[in-house]
Amino acid sequence: MRKVLLILVLCTAMLSAQEKPGESRFLLRGYAHSGVEVRGDETTFVGGSFNPIFLWRQSDKLLFEAELEVEYENGETLIGLEYANMSYIINDYATLRLGKFLLPFGTFAAKLHPAWINRLSSKPLGFGHDGVGPARDLGVELRGGIPLGEAKMTYSVYMINGPALNDGTNPNVEPEEAGMLLYDLGEDNNNNKAIGGRVSFLPLSNSSMEIGFSGLYGKVGNVESKYEDVAALLYAVDFSYVSKVSFLSGVVDIKAQLNGVQVDDASYFNVEDSSNYSFSNKSSAYYVQMSYRPVNMSTDFLNSLEFVGRYSELSFPEGALWTSDQTQYAFGLNYWVDWRTVVKLSYQFADTGAHESEGEEGEASNDAIFLHWAFGF
Amino acid sequence: MKVKHVKLFLVSVSLFFGALFLASCTPSQAQASKPGALLWGENCVRCHNAPSPSAFSDSQWEVVGKHMRIRASLTADEVDKIVEFLKMAN
Repeated sequence: MRKVLLILVLCTAMLSAQEKPGESRFLLRGYAHSGVEVRGDETTFVGGSFNPIFLWRQSDKLLFEAELEVEYENGETLIGLEYANMSYIINDYATLRLGKFLLPFGTFAAKLHPAWINRLSSKPLGFGHDGVGPARDLGVELRGGIPLGEAKMTYSVYMINGPALNDGTNPNVEPEEAGMLLYDLGEDNNNNKAIGGRVSFLPLSNSSMEIGFSGLYGKVGNVESKYEDVAALLYAVDFSYVSKVSFLSGVVDIKAQLNGVQVDDASYFNVEDSSNYSFSNKSSAYYVQMSYRPVNMSTDFLNSLEFVGRYSELSFPEGALWTSDQTQYAFGLNYWVDWRTVVKLSYQFADTGAHESEGEEGEASNDAIFLHWAFGF
Repeated sequence: MKVKHVKLFLVSVSLFFGALFLASCTPSQAQASKPGALLWGENCVRCHNAPSPSAFSDSQWEVVGKHMRIRASLTADEVDKIVEFLKMAN
């Protein structure tokens, strides 16, 4: 009898132990996208990417997050680490983050780039690879949101390895792109750490509008080189407005961001004619995007549609061997299968050309049609 | 040495006023009384469509809430209310 009672007590204890949820939680989330693209005479299915996000809630104060990007390109499977960091919640308004994280340099790279969030199949000019401004880096960050009466603000201050200057002396790093900044290299190229931050204001009581200002400053030259003291100032301004508009019977979403990069003047070696040259090293890129999604229409089909338009511009410095001015228009029609699954049909055309001051017209026009699907999970 | 002292003084003053600023920051009565459903509708759509409550289980919403609190710089009060609403509605 005593044994039976003991077993019953043990079983009850085990069952109640199973019912207790415990503090630790693991969740696999992420997103994926793929599609077909038409560029000129070429039509091809593209592998897109698969981005698993690993979330580990260690306790009420600690969260670990990591995202991988698995891409299939040119017959190869590429795996990259988007971010991997640990966050410690200090109090209601402050969180400390350590590791590799998406930089709050504007909002596109930090929040809006995932394929199921980005309203178009492509990224704006200057906001992808080899763009103007960083997307992620290694370091430490303090961030949070603060209520201000009816309004609200968010802040972030961080210290990271920072960008590195391509000074043209390394033949493996495209010497013709001397003066360009390289991002997300992993290890720092000098002992200087870059300091940056972002502050944003949400002045309306329903948080529908946000205006953000970002800055990043640090030395970018390689240690013990003649570029050691070359520094760079990077800045961004972003705007967001999302609201239901009664007379349009729908939701209007406006997003915009301007990125700028200023690198100290320096003299570089031209590998083509063995001369030295310098230029005013300033780059910029911006985009303005507007989307409209009907709501409360007569059919679910109409309520699932979304119309998008975007204009973006990219300007690389005059006098550099990589000088360029580009403009791009993109238009899209999306069909939302559910809140996180979308089929995107878009058309874009871009002009790639020299600086207007040189009196030349665009060198090429790149038209493209995309039919992509994307989903978050 | 003097420059060092000035820098230290400026940092101390900044921290002092920063702490005062944080201590004085409170939501208005109207903001503080917003229900989770309203906060869910207002905050999620700033970046993406508002998620369906049935997309995740209660314990999963707790992880998602923590993740989004950091990603979107939401306050603790906002996240608690949103997660509570999603857990109740799923």
